[in-house]
Amino acid sequence: MYWRAISEDTPGPKWAGLFREYWPEYRAWWLKEGETARPTYAESRRALGVHMPELLPLYDQLCELAGGTDHAARFLSFYTPPPYLAACSQAIWAGKEPVMVRNYDYNPKAFDSLVLKTRWMGRDVMGTSDGLWGLVDGVNDKGLSISLTFGGRRVAGEGFGIPLILRYALQVCETAQEAAEVLARVPTHMSYNVTVLDRKRDYLTVMMAPDRPAVVSHAAVATNHQENVEWVSHARFTATVERERFLLQRLRFHRDPEEKFIGAFLKPPLYSTAFRQGFGTLYTAVYRPRRRQMELRWPGVTWQLSLKDFAEGARDVSLPGAA
Amino acid sequence: MATVLKNISEIRRFFHRNEDPIYFISATNFNLLGLDEWVKNFKYICYIDCYGGKHPNVFCPSEQPHAEFQSIEDINNYLLQHKEVIDFIKKRGGKPKFVFLMFDEETERLSKELGAEVWFPKAKLRTAMDNKIETVRIGNKAGVPSVPNTLAEVKSYEDLRKTCEKAGIGHDLVLQSAFGDSGHTTFFIKSEADFRRHEHEIIGEGEIKIMKRINCRGAAIEACATKEGTIVGPLMTELVGFKELTPYRGGWCGNEILATAFPPKVRQQARDLTFKFGEQLRKEGYRGYFELDFLIDKKTGDLWLGELNPRITGASSMTNHAAFAHADAPLFLFHLLEFSKKKFNLDVDELNARWADPANIDGWSQMVIKHTKDSVDICTQSPETGIYKMLEDGSVVFDRFDYHRRAVESENEAFFLRILQPGDYRYEGADIGILVTRGRSMTKAFQLNDRAKKWIHGIQRAVDGKPLPVASASPDLADPAFKIL
Repeated sequence: MYWRAISEDTPGPKWAGLFREYWPEYRAWWLKEGETARPTYAESRRALGVHMPELLPLYDQLCELAGGTDHAARFLSFYTPPPYLAACSQAIWAGKEPVMVRNYDYNPKAFDSLVLKTRWMGRDVMGTSDGLWGLVDGVNDKGLSISLTFGGRRVAGEGFGIPLILRYALQVCETAQEAAEVLARVPTHMSYNVTVLDRKRDYLTVMMAPDRPAVVSHAAVATNHQENVEWVSHARFTATVERERFLLQRLRFHRDPEEKFIGAFLKPPLYSTAFRQGFGTLYTAVYRPRRRQMELRWPGVTWQLSLKDFAEGARDVSLPGAA
Repeated sequence: MATVLKNISEIRRFFHRNEDPIYFISATNFNLLGLDEWVKNFKYICYIDCYGGKHPNVFCPSEQPHAEFQSIEDINNYLLQHKEVIDFIKKRGGKPKFVFLMFDEETERLSKELGAEVWFPKAKLRTAMDNKIETVRIGNKAGVPSVPNTLAEVKSYEDLRKTCEKAGIGHDLVLQSAFGDSGHTTFFIKSEADFRRHEHEIIGEGEIKIMKRINCRGAAIEACATKEGTIVGPLMTELVGFKELTPYRGGWCGNEILATAFPPKVRQQARDLTFKFGEQLRKEGYRGYFELDFLIDKKTGDLWLGELNPRITGASSMTNHAAFAHADAPLFLFHLLEFSKKKFNLDVDELNARWADPANIDGWSQMVIKHTKDSVDICTQSPETGIYKMLEDGSVVFDRFDYHRRAVESENEAFFLRILQPGDYRYEGADIGILVTRGRSMTKAFQLNDRAKKWIHGIQRAVDGKPLPVASASPDLADPAFKIL
């Protein structure tokens, strides 16, 4: 896997270049159920205006950079996209410093392997990119960090693809409380557990779903089910209950120093190499919101990235079993 | 047959001639081990076959795909929807009666679908009683005092400190959420760091029971509330938090039953309080089997109510195998009697007095052995169920298969019930099995004795596992060999 870290303060040539690079594959994915399965441009833009109005100017700007086509603009709205699936585990360390650790388990062939650092809307944000401007985890200059896990439910509805909701929360919120309110309000098209952690070490997990009101909890651990396992085969395949139990055990029984706690994510049962079945651990991310830092980790490898002093770069990572 | 059962002998005969099938449905049959020999047509339907198919009354359906179970209720609900289970129950006919360790409203619904009666008070009532906050209230009504405590919602550590100052219970605390057992939801909190480890289980969880931490030892007692009065079993010691047995601090890991475990005054007081509690439970609409935990202050000998389990428990096998149980009848038989709607007369006072007699209590202990190491792997071998012998040098060897725990002849033998099977996931806190021995497993000072430690070691040695597959990025890719653009 070839990973890049790219920084561009305002949308410009770098972002436009990325769009050109990723668009053919995204386009194929976005059209896989046919064009009519997706909302129109007018519907999509209207939905953005209703639920995330602050993003409209930025959205329009990105559509322009993407070439201004109807398909690109509809894709970039993230409004009711084709269903996503993923696994993932995330947890808040019980030490004094606020630290969030997460594994992202996904298909390596359908992943951007890109860290994007931006200063859009006057706010510094960096995180793991999805769909060119969405994020699957990230942190902003106010010391708010955020991460998602799939909620393990098949139901899909009208709403936004979760990566854009995470981006939105980082663009407009400063605390875990504010972010939780946004997450509970914006409609999602599938079920996700989103954990937010702020510089004061306040944290909340929001269980979001398209078909029922969001549940805001003080859970420090999230894997791939919500209050109960609903999608049995997915739960079994991703071992979501075992991973949750394992993480809760770590918090309850152990006073793990930070390094040991992070290390647990790089070993079974959290770390998965089931790439052949589509879901292996692509990376481990560590967020330290007080220091505005993130780290990407693989077994034996650490890549540090800082919001204050972000260095562009790339890593070629080979994971056993992954492409 | 007599229309009213007049004495123990008639009660025993009634069950020996029982026609309707009664099923204990649970993960294993351990809690009601041996009851099939008192009750005709009594069968166990279990998820785990601890006996490798060799127990005549245990039925285990073949495994079907299912989600990882999140609770015992999940296991029971899975079993009740399994075709082989449904076929088994239908084929045996009669009007089935079900008993469970745990069940919920879904279990009740599934039971009804199968035309079965659940011989326990309703799940809703049991859940209400199981709530620790409710237990305090029932205890107070019955005149059974709880450890100095306060009930409050907790918003932060600061907030908790304030609550405790107001309540005058200090800052060395034991917190318990409304539900939960075996140390899963009992938190020992003395500092902010302690609080951080558990805050996700405390904040936003509603009212929490906040107790002053006292220097105490645990005791357990089981009883059965019947229309003739509450029948009280013997006071048992509790094995709690031994690191050789469990990774859960403060977690239950076994019991002992012996006539002189506690001074006569404490024993008598515990029996009286349990009787009073049972009578109050009846007023609240509950009937049948229940268990109380008492906390005995080491300094003063004061007795405090710890918690109520409105059900059979992990200690039920101890109560139901004590000498008095063989002399009269196991306590659970009275539970079945209560739910059978059969009319009976019983002098409960006389029975209670007899069961309080030290001559009716012989010494036994059980230890629940968990995987205590901070590791995860796949079990490749584990000792099978049966009778084990301890050799002169302290090593432990398998002697013979048996499913009767009373087959243990001496203190050099033990009955082991296998729970962890080869191929199972072995993780910190996973149950390996239960070891039952004659005599004590603790010293007078309530520490594990040498013999018990040897037994645990002997069993643990026979368990092995293989590691889960591990990933590693190949060394040439590790820093600083990275290609950096």
